Amino acid sequence: MIPNRIKTEGLKKEDLKIVPDIERRQFLKMGLLITGVFAGGSILSATSIVNKAFASVREFAEKYPYKPHYSMVVHQDRCIDCELCMTACVKTNNVPTYGYRTKILERDDPKAADRKREFIPVLCNQCNTPPCVLGCPTKATYKNHSNGIVMMESKKCIGCKTCMAACPYNARYFNEEIGAVDKCDFCFSSRLSKGEKLTACAEACPAKVRIFGDLSDTASDVYNTVHNLEKTVWVLRAEAGAKPNVFYTKG
Amino acid sequence: MRIKRLLVLIIVAAAMIAAYEGIAISEDETIGGGDIVYSKPVKSVLFSHKSHAAMGLDCNACHDKIFQMEALSAQNKPDFNMKGLYEKKYCGACHVKDGMAFPSDTQCARCHIGTKGFNKAPKDAKK
Repeated sequence: MIPNRIKTEGLKKEDLKIVPDIERRQFLKMGLLITGVFAGGSILSATSIVNKAFASVREFAEKYPYKPHYSMVVHQDRCIDCELCMTACVKTNNVPTYGYRTKILERDDPKAADRKREFIPVLCNQCNTPPCVLGCPTKATYKNHSNGIVMMESKKCIGCKTCMAACPYNARYFNEEIGAVDKCDFCFSSRLSKGEKLTACAEACPAKVRIFGDLSDTASDVYNTVHNLEKTVWVLRAEAGAKPNVFYTKG
Repeated sequence: MRIKRLLVLIIVAAAMIAAYEGIAISEDETIGGGDIVYSKPVKSVLFSHKSHAAMGLDCNACHDKIFQMEALSAQNKPDFNMKGLYEKKYCGACHVKDGMAFPSDTQCARCHIGTKGFNKAPKDAKK
């Protein structure tokens, strides 16, 4: 139903600049472009630009440098810390008890009105500009040029742990058994390279917290969640400037 | 007229007794079975007798039509899961859309305390 239109014919049109940027942006997120301002900003006229605004995301997709561009969206508020993801990861990738490739952080907010507890799954963010790769003196860790996964070549690792110090996400540990640093590779070695479509953690999750997929594929769930303008999507430690490929959202 | 006044008096008295009982329950930490920590089908879910009784629910509200008296007996049933709750079983009797309490498909971590919560919980609350 179209709501009643307010007649603006008799009113004097005012300068668009009096509408604050933030308000204009809020309208844009709804797919509306403000075209006129009346009565000191209390009346606005707007036109729909949904097709234009949403069509432009296609260009955005071309910015993803890898094909497939593996990515994960974490629906944070769905996590219940059952840790079935961690169990699956440990089993799939032979992770020792003293290390981890993924884990669940816990945060309490005693001031919250209802749900005072929050669980946050963390893992390697497979950054586009990975500080660990920049820091590695032997190129033992590198960015896979076809799928963007940050990989380890264990035999080149000298155990200097520079990468561990460089990682903004604390996603690396030194594996005593293999004598090299180990990390999450989105299950590339254990599963993806063998034809599996999902990481072990994403498959094991009973609450659909971890959505894994190809960010360069406009039909994928990860693409559609990250580009849903109505959804708030964020990354961890954005200030590190590493351009992570693990995104977080709620709902 | 006198009957009417008497009736009002009775109602007021009943309300006062109920209110007093409500306070008594909320102050008693060991009401009912204390804290119950379920570990199946996932680790883990905390049920607090105290906070439920403090809202004015009496034992009969749940026992033993919805939950048996024996602690943790529900988690051995195959339908003790989210699907069962959505079908108004167990917690879902109240925790359902348009029900008495917040729906089961919202505020996940309000009841789910996770593996970390399970490890922190006192031994007598879990099996």
